[in-house]
Amino acid sequence: MKYELVSGFETHVELSTNTKIFCSCTTAFGGEPNTHCCPVCIGLPGTLPKLNRQVVRYAIMAGLATNCEIAEVAKMDRKNYCYPDLPKAYQISEYDKPLCEHGYIQLSNGRKIRILRIHIEEDAGKLIHAHGDTYVDYNRGGVPLIEIVTEPDFRSVDEAREYVERLQQIMRYIGVSDCRMEEGSMRCDVNISVRPEGSEELGTRTEIKNMNSINNIVKAMEYEFERQVDVIESGGKVIQETLRYDDASGTTSSMRGKEDANDYRYFRDPDLVTILTSREEVEEIRSILPELPAVKQSRYTDDYGIPEKDAQLLTKYRKVSEYFDEAIKGLDNPKTAANFIIGSIFRRVETEKDKETFDVPVSPAQLNELVKLIEDKKIQNNLAKKTLEKMLDTGKSCTEFIDESDLGGVDDGALEEMCRKAIESNPNAVSDYRGGKEKALMSLLGNVMKQSRGKADAVAVKTKLIELIAE
Amino acid sequence: MVTKQDVENIAILSKLFVAEDELDNLTKQMQEIVSFADAINNAPDSGEEFDNINNLSNVFREDVVVPSLSAEEILKNAPEQGENHFLVRNHA
Repeated sequence: MKYELVSGFETHVELSTNTKIFCSCTTAFGGEPNTHCCPVCIGLPGTLPKLNRQVVRYAIMAGLATNCEIAEVAKMDRKNYCYPDLPKAYQISEYDKPLCEHGYIQLSNGRKIRILRIHIEEDAGKLIHAHGDTYVDYNRGGVPLIEIVTEPDFRSVDEAREYVERLQQIMRYIGVSDCRMEEGSMRCDVNISVRPEGSEELGTRTEIKNMNSINNIVKAMEYEFERQVDVIESGGKVIQETLRYDDASGTTSSMRGKEDANDYRYFRDPDLVTILTSREEVEEIRSILPELPAVKQSRYTDDYGIPEKDAQLLTKYRKVSEYFDEAIKGLDNPKTAANFIIGSIFRRVETEKDKETFDVPVSPAQLNELVKLIEDKKIQNNLAKKTLEKMLDTGKSCTEFIDESDLGGVDDGALEEMCRKAIESNPNAVSDYRGGKEKALMSLLGNVMKQSRGKADAVAVKTKLIELIAE
Repeated sequence: MVTKQDVENIAILSKLFVAEDELDNLTKQMQEIVSFADAINNAPDSGEEFDNINNLSNVFREDVVVPSLSAEEILKNAPEQGENHFLVRNHA
């Protein structure tokens, strides 16, 4: 029998605020243990939480960017559980009145992954287990999180991978989180069940907790899918349980139950007041959202005729797309600039981290100036490419490398003369070409380009050469 | 109605050990305690939806960092500490 994967995601994203959600301690990553703490975030009795306004705004931005409805009335609740990572023995979260609900993210195959809700909550402290004991660092305790919960809408591992990448991209674009999985500022819990293909019923699901790389998510999902199919095929039943994925062995294993009764006894946090969001405020926040990657991508493909794959590369990072948008101002054909960025510039900005900041020695205006010269037929593409390399080496503008003699194309008379010269001085290439060796034409072409110092139009040269040889 | 099962669950959540022969008595006592709260159900109310007692909303803080305490001060009341961390002994 063939089986279908059914999966849903809960993703925790740390917000890029300066301060924690309920106190004014810094959210900076790392730091000496327990140096980003105060009586509020270590849960001393008698302290009172006060909500960070920016957390609410960031969460609303995240909601709007994922097509959610923003709640007019929201509130904070206590989720009770006893574990050393929570100094108060409860986490302040949102239970039945989250800030955002009913959104979606659309995938490239056209399917919409529905977002059930996005709520705000506080992160827990970091536990280090050593010598049989537990060491607790509360620097991360109280750092603001949003939890983004999807419906069980994923039908393949590829869809899950694309969702995580898109979510990461959207959150970075709108600037609410850096979503660095390796630093834990984005973490995914994945629910997985399987069912016979064609069935509408949901199978028993397991949950794999706290995965912090896309590769691990993919591997864990593939493993867990196979495991569940094996259990069912051999006549067994999948047990609903929480699993951890072990990267080294590539397997999932059962986690000790955090709370046997699994009863969080949610109740309203009496220390925190209601969050009311006016429609005007929602519209004000909507108006400051940048153009989102999906919209940008279709602008590039539909309006500029850029191939989809290239448009994806240009929109993956906000800084790259902003650079491109700036560089193509006033140009007729943005494709040339796109090719220069994806080719020459990306060769020098290789890592993902560097693309994120996209600090390029050539400014968008300088690239614009260079491409304008091509569009005005003042220089040839090849010469422009070489010039761009020099610009990237030095950070100087193209006028530094192109002198008057380079400007302007090669007129027809001069072109013919150069072609004749090439043919006369390369009788072997000519006879090779006549004998059917098409490639021989390339050496003649190279000769003409050399004579013209790269200024001649390669297509025109080729046509002329063929014409002259045929004479 | 408080059941024996409820008391067992609450004991687990509270990390308390309750012996089998204590259960009946504890269930009865728990029921009595919960019954106090039932009195609230009989109090008259205006029938209006009730949000929070002060009827406050949107009390926010601006996102401005204030220096934190030193690790030494933070750990002052820790029952045990080690390497500038709170130390939780494994009693299992």
